[in-house]
Amino acid sequence: MTDPGTPKEDRKRFFKDELESSESQIPSLAQRLDNSKSFLFSENIKPEDKGSSLFVPSQMDIVEFEKGLKDIMPDISDEMCKKLYKKFENDTKPVASAVEYYFDHNKSLTRESKKDTEIIDLSDDSYDDVNSSSVSYSNHMDSDPPIHNDSHPRLTFQSLFSQKRDEIKKRRTRTVNERIAKRRKSSVLWKKFLGSMQVTAMATRPTIRPLKYGSVLKLHVTGSKNLSPSKIYDSKGKRKVSMAQLVKLRDSIQDREIGRIPEDIAQILYPLIDESGVSFEVTLVYSGEKRLSIGDSFIIQLDCFLTSDLFEEEPVSSQPDSTSLKQSGWEMSTKAISETQEEVANKYKRVGLLALFNKLRIKEVTDETKALENMNNSQPDIVDLEDDDTFENIVTDNIEEEDINHTDTMDLNQLQNFYSVAQSLEALKNLPETTPSEEVMKLNLRRYQKQGLTWMLRREGEFSKAASSEEVTAPDAMMNPLWKQFIWPKDMSWVSERESSVPKSDDENIFFYANLHTGEFSMEKPILVTAMKGGILSDEMGLGKTISTLSLILTVPQDSSVETKDLFEKEVPEMPQSLSKNSQKPYASKTTLIVVPMSLLHQWHSEFEKSCGDKNLHAEIYYGGNVSNLKVHLTKSKNPPAVLITTYGIIQNEWTKLAKTLGPEMDLSLTTGLFSVSFYRIVLDEGHIIRNRQTITSKAVMQLSGKCRWVLTGTPIINRLDDMYSLVKFLNLEPWSQIGFWKQFVSIPFENKHFKEAFDVVNSILEPVFLRRTKLMKDVDGKPLVNLPPKEVIVERLKFNEDQDIIYKQLLNRAEDSVKLGLARGDLLKKYSTILVNILRLRQVCCDVRLLGSQDENDEDLSHNNSMLNSQIDISSLLKNNEAGAKPNGFSEKELENAIESLNEKYPRIDDKSSFECSICTTEPIDLNEMLFTECEHPFCKGCLLEYCDYQHMKNLDMKCPLCRHEISKDRLLTLKKNNDGSYEPGHFNTKSRSSKIVALANHLQQLQDSSPGEQVVVFSQFSSFLDILENELGEIFPSKTTKIYKFDGRLSLKDRSAVLKDFQIKIPGMQKILLLSLKAGGVGLNLTSASYAFMMDPWWSPSMEDQAIDRIHRIGQVNNVKVTRFIMENSIEEKMLQIQERKRTIGEAMDADEDDRRKRRIDEIKMLFE
Amino acid sequence: MASLPKRIIKETERLVTDPVPGITAEPHDDNLRYFKVTIEGPAGSPYENGLFNLELYLPDDYPMEAPKVRFLTKIYHPNIDRLGRICLDILKTNWSPALQIRTVLLSVQALLASPNPNDPLANDVAEDWIKNEQGAKAKAKEWTALYAKK
Repeated sequence: MTDPGTPKEDRKRFFKDELESSESQIPSLAQRLDNSKSFLFSENIKPEDKGSSLFVPSQMDIVEFEKGLKDIMPDISDEMCKKLYKKFENDTKPVASAVEYYFDHNKSLTRESKKDTEIIDLSDDSYDDVNSSSVSYSNHMDSDPPIHNDSHPRLTFQSLFSQKRDEIKKRRTRTVNERIAKRRKSSVLWKKFLGSMQVTAMATRPTIRPLKYGSVLKLHVTGSKNLSPSKIYDSKGKRKVSMAQLVKLRDSIQDREIGRIPEDIAQILYPLIDESGVSFEVTLVYSGEKRLSIGDSFIIQLDCFLTSDLFEEEPVSSQPDSTSLKQSGWEMSTKAISETQEEVANKYKRVGLLALFNKLRIKEVTDETKALENMNNSQPDIVDLEDDDTFENIVTDNIEEEDINHTDTMDLNQLQNFYSVAQSLEALKNLPETTPSEEVMKLNLRRYQKQGLTWMLRREGEFSKAASSEEVTAPDAMMNPLWKQFIWPKDMSWVSERESSVPKSDDENIFFYANLHTGEFSMEKPILVTAMKGGILSDEMGLGKTISTLSLILTVPQDSSVETKDLFEKEVPEMPQSLSKNSQKPYASKTTLIVVPMSLLHQWHSEFEKSCGDKNLHAEIYYGGNVSNLKVHLTKSKNPPAVLITTYGIIQNEWTKLAKTLGPEMDLSLTTGLFSVSFYRIVLDEGHIIRNRQTITSKAVMQLSGKCRWVLTGTPIINRLDDMYSLVKFLNLEPWSQIGFWKQFVSIPFENKHFKEAFDVVNSILEPVFLRRTKLMKDVDGKPLVNLPPKEVIVERLKFNEDQDIIYKQLLNRAEDSVKLGLARGDLLKKYSTILVNILRLRQVCCDVRLLGSQDENDEDLSHNNSMLNSQIDISSLLKNNEAGAKPNGFSEKELENAIESLNEKYPRIDDKSSFECSICTTEPIDLNEMLFTECEHPFCKGCLLEYCDYQHMKNLDMKCPLCRHEISKDRLLTLKKNNDGSYEPGHFNTKSRSSKIVALANHLQQLQDSSPGEQVVVFSQFSSFLDILENELGEIFPSKTTKIYKFDGRLSLKDRSAVLKDFQIKIPGMQKILLLSLKAGGVGLNLTSASYAFMMDPWWSPSMEDQAIDRIHRIGQVNNVKVTRFIMENSIEEKMLQIQERKRTIGEAMDADEDDRRKRRIDEIKMLFE
Repeated sequence: MASLPKRIIKETERLVTDPVPGITAEPHDDNLRYFKVTIEGPAGSPYENGLFNLELYLPDDYPMEAPKVRFLTKIYHPNIDRLGRICLDILKTNWSPALQIRTVLLSVQALLASPNPNDPLANDVAEDWIKNEQGAKAKAKEWTALYAKK
């Protein structure tokens, strides 16, 4: 199939060479492979260097180069810089290549630089050689170097050949340096068949004769191969150019273009074509019987191979060497990491590989034995794209997926996916149950808790104690989760099918492994060694994480591997963070440290007492230095506590003190506190507290030493995916506890909106160490894990009372003005805190005007020293402002005097009249403490009259005395004041009317008392000052003989906390118990199942916080239907907050990738608030 | 159903133990806020000797809100329309929580005794009443005999 067309000058010139070479090349695959083993061959296949001498896009000068290099590796010497510069001067991406090279050959480089300059020269040489040849893709496979020469006419093939051969000889003698050579000049030792597909190609040039069946073609990338990725892909990763224009088919003899392949295939092939790790062979299988005209289609078989090159790139280590990473300054460089061109190119290679795998239907092997069976039975087909519908699907799927990944939204489903994938349901169901012996554990565990115990025991390596199932896999043999296992398909390639003589490549490797995240390949199973003991128990709230943990502690209270005193020095677990300083900490092998939020301290203690059946075990609370020398106490005393409970606060305190006194080079083993010993086990309850690794608490907790580490949290992710990092770091889950790794594989993809990628990685990181069950999950028998009574949440919308309305409107105007101003000027961000304060004020008014001026202790975005926050707002001035000019309110002094006087005249013995009847509620006599007189001297109950006033106000009706229709005003009412001697005298009734919420709450409580006295009720608010007001008001409204009010907030001392909770839980018939609970102090952890009614006085920004709070009563142990009432002021900021909550629920709160995003989002929210 | 306020219970008890002459009011068995009411036509009025059925309902907001009262018996009266709705100020704007079922029903009875065609609800009746009071009264009497027979 010669083509006499019009061959170009230079081509003609080497025509003979080509012929020769192609002849010599064709014979057999075996020979080819043989060839390919030669170093000669290797010269041609360095992907990084192709054609560089012809297209040197970015020649850096040395200064720039050095700077770039030092940015990445601050420690690098100038000398080294120069050397690297020399080496990579002509590289397309000199810095990147140099860095890579430097990392790989750090040691040998330094050595070389002293002794073996020859090698360096040599490799430089070869670089030039390769650079000087423009390489078309198939060259390296077909090993016909002459073809290069068509674009490099001055070198003859012969000279090139011999020259190289000499070099090779030289090099062969130097086995010592082979590694360097391999890296730079990787050689294809073998290639293995991956799959075939049939592609319909289109002729782009007419042929004289029909193409012969079986003639060999090759893929060629037109000259613009050196297009930088940025030219091919736009910033969003969309292709700008058609790949089919770049990837052409050539006939292998004349090396002239004869056709093009479809765009979709070209897209996959393009990034891979020059990749030495992948090779393609193209054979014509059908072209019709006649010659081809332009536009005719013909069918080719495309055989794809993976070559040894792909597998040699990096020795597969399951645990990347973290120390070298540190040395190389990875930690620093990643902070400012952005995708370099090389990374972009790599990324597309990876995507290409992935697409290729998809197209060839190479599927991950999940079950080895099955796969092996199948392999012997079934025949993998050549993928025929013609009648392949699935293929289209795959492609479109990919595209869609890509699109989705590029959109900015990540919905809640993805977060749920994250949870659901993190723990496969099947595996969960099949976990056997471990029942702790009754001697140690007095409580009965639920089935899933027993399963959880099994899992936890396994995680600690206590296999003997855990119930076993048939397939207990040795945990050590677990594959690195980032890697996937694949099976080598049967060789169906053109050559092997036609030529049976071709020896099948060695069969020893049935599987290969690929890390599709990084594009790494390996023939050996990448083993993930998790030496880490412990994990994250992330059962949903109310599933009994505490009990599960206690059962673990009681089952294995102490380190069984430490029998004698001699041993434990050796058994000190490694603490990477503080390896150098703290390795000699004494080992408290019998003690589990439990770190809890303060509110849970006593709960844990009492749970322990309740469940512990072993008299030898006891729990101690470590709180405020009640143990003088913890080290001695735990390691030297005869019976150290099995459980030491402390709080995050204590740890933080102790750490801060240590840091102050000892300075940065502290030797923790000299201290005596929590940091002086290494615990057998550490448990972090509500572990999400440490999610922000910048906080002192988090830093301090990281410094605790312990062999087994557990994190308990129902909500491992609060705001962003990075919340997980702190947990992983605490667990010492290598390699992810290296921030560099985390950033690389999680943060950066996430920030780039590759949510799926990031989640996939997190999932695989967590899979082995993460256990999460939800209330909805079903157990083995298909029953739900937990059968909780139904929960009803009602939103009750209320109207402002008069004062609230007036003040709210004024504050709203103020707030709107500042937002508008901010938007107009574009400095909304600067005004952020001002606006937040304004919003806070509005929220406070919604609760009670008396809250104004108090601080919202729960709003983390507001600094407490904010001057504006501290400035008191004068409520009366606000009211007066508004009413200046309107009807004058209240009595003047004179008027009041007169009113009192006339009242006294009318009822001379006012405290005797036991016969006053309230005409509203028909109660008689009216309680003197509850009596109000109108200006027209008619008596009413306080509650009735105020309710009437509020009702009239709400309906915009006039307020008239119900009895005589004399106009009345709330500010002009008289009440009776009790004197010290027990007598009563009239006085002015303070106008401070109860806020709508208090009134509504009181009504509900009253109704509840009427219908079922003796209920316990929990009332949540985020404003502790509101709790104070509620305490007073409810105390006034309800007599103390039927109602008992408790208050639980951050100001309560630890002792009082447990007392309050204990007392509250006791049911007393006929006594309504009301617990006023601050959302922050009591929102998490508490168990308040004795109550089945809850009232949420104010909405919180994040719905999950409210859910947490509701779950205080809606959890295991709750036997009654739960009724929750949320009070929302109508037409107020609270309604908008509900909308925002709704939004958060749908788009998921894990969205906020970083602080900026978070702020921007809150600004969106602010806009929403003032729409 | 929400529990009944004490006042309603008290009022109901009093209506039974101490009934207003010429008026009966009994709460419905299923709904203690719904009353079946009868009012005798006041002597000397065209409605004399008639017995009128009414319904009375106490809304949730009672006593802040006025009770809803409606004639069930057809009646020819300028302040009562064909649907039995009553135009009475204390049932609307002049309601006061100090008023009770008893007082409301007394007021209705009083309205029968002294119709007020100048503040009509049934315009045709009111016109008739103003133009030809005698004829109107005769018609009222006729209707009473026809529809409100004891």
